[in-house]
Amino acid sequence: MSNIFIIAKNTFNVEVRDKIIYAVFGFAILYFFLMEFMSQLVLGELPMVKSFALLGVYFFNVIVALFLGTTSFYKDIERKIVYFILSKPVSRSQFIIGKFLGLCAVILFSSVVMGIDYMFLIYVVSHTIDFLGLLAIAMQFLEMSLFIAFAMFVTTFSSSILSIVFTSAVFFIGHVVSSLLSAASSMGIGGFKLILIKLMYYILPNLEKFDIRNIAIHPVQLPFLNFFFAFCYALFYIALLLFSAILIFKKKEL
Amino acid sequence: MLNYLNVTKKYGKRTIVDDFSLSIKSDIFGFLGQNGAGKTTIMKMTVGLLSQSSGEITIDGIPSSSKKSKEKIGFMPETPYFYERFTGMEFMKFCGELFGRKGRVFNSFALDLLKKVDLEKAKDFKIKTYSKGMRQRLGFAQALVNDPQYIFLDEPLDGLDPIGRREMKDVILGLKKEGKKIFFNTHILYDVEEICDELGIVHNGRLLYSGSVKNLCNGKPLEDRFIEVVHNKEIEKK
Repeated sequence: MSNIFIIAKNTFNVEVRDKIIYAVFGFAILYFFLMEFMSQLVLGELPMVKSFALLGVYFFNVIVALFLGTTSFYKDIERKIVYFILSKPVSRSQFIIGKFLGLCAVILFSSVVMGIDYMFLIYVVSHTIDFLGLLAIAMQFLEMSLFIAFAMFVTTFSSSILSIVFTSAVFFIGHVVSSLLSAASSMGIGGFKLILIKLMYYILPNLEKFDIRNIAIHPVQLPFLNFFFAFCYALFYIALLLFSAILIFKKKEL
Repeated sequence: MLNYLNVTKKYGKRTIVDDFSLSIKSDIFGFLGQNGAGKTTIMKMTVGLLSQSSGEITIDGIPSSSKKSKEKIGFMPETPYFYERFTGMEFMKFCGELFGRKGRVFNSFALDLLKKVDLEKAKDFKIKTYSKGMRQRLGFAQALVNDPQYIFLDEPLDGLDPIGRREMKDVILGLKKEGKKIFFNTHILYDVEEICDELGIVHNGRLLYSGSVKNLCNGKPLEDRFIEVVHNKEIEKK
């Protein structure tokens, strides 16, 4: 167990020093300054400010997650850094889980930094504290964790570039597949096309479950049960992806 | 004792290591062979990075890839890569932690190891600023963080300048005096001749000779004997 945390801590230490992460954080801060400026232009249109700010947090976190998920694990294998680690009393499953937790810690760090930016911005604009916005960011963190697990899973059997392509495709499909399924049933689409859409719906992660930005912007009654299901869904899917990644990685010739 | 029993490694239909059996008791053992002979594959199987297709590798009677065996081995890979933004000392601490070693006592032990490989002054420099020789020496130092009984070095003297090579050989001989067992891969005959007690000649994944350097050479230069052994095998094959 302790080796998992050592690898997680090490992964965090390695990745937060990456210049690309700094660049993303820099852009995020710049973005929030722009948002502050924009809030003065739209005078009191708080929902609009919230909407753009949450979208910004989401966008920057997606970049960080895509970058980390597709490169960090891959680089360790490609540059043979795993030789140092796996020749020590560390199992391959400990390595994968540690790596995943370390990358999630970076996303958590990024979410906290941008969450503080967001809260500050909303406070400046409306003198209120937006807890729902924080909840939306927490749900985004869950989505990013799933996203990282997926990227790591793909990386166990493909290259970094392919992993970027696959993960981006899954990201896109994961956001449209539920709308696609409802559209298909309302339009009466059947046969092979419907089977294909249903397959994607059941196999690929449904990322829309984590998008509660609209609820945060236009408060309605909070669907707590939905949050709970989304949380369990993320945990189950992540466990499944990591388990599959471990199975493949155990057979991988290094 | 390190023991290989009928070890075979295949990639698809290609046999990389072929029915390799050997027992090693000597203090410094050199695996000698041409590039692509299978030396690195043997070493990677020994330290648990690769699994053998068949056969058994044991250290003191325990499978070498088990956690218990890994506690007592140190491994330095060929042309090591590191986390470039770490300092040498940070990397040593990370490696130590994987063996549950940390704190002041370990830090001073790690510093001693860095001194041993002449990296004391560069301990707080980022690894990305290290030269090839410095990386090689850091790779060597990290293999010693757990004070291992068995040390596996894959081409440890590659990329070192003459002074660096001399210093590294002295460190290896010093480890021998401390009672450690050292196994290293090389294709440089002079290194084997100078520091090894015994050697094994590996060619096309097969063990052609194992025993003392003296017995093999029998008054002749090691280079001549090595070529002779490999050539004889080639002729036999034809």
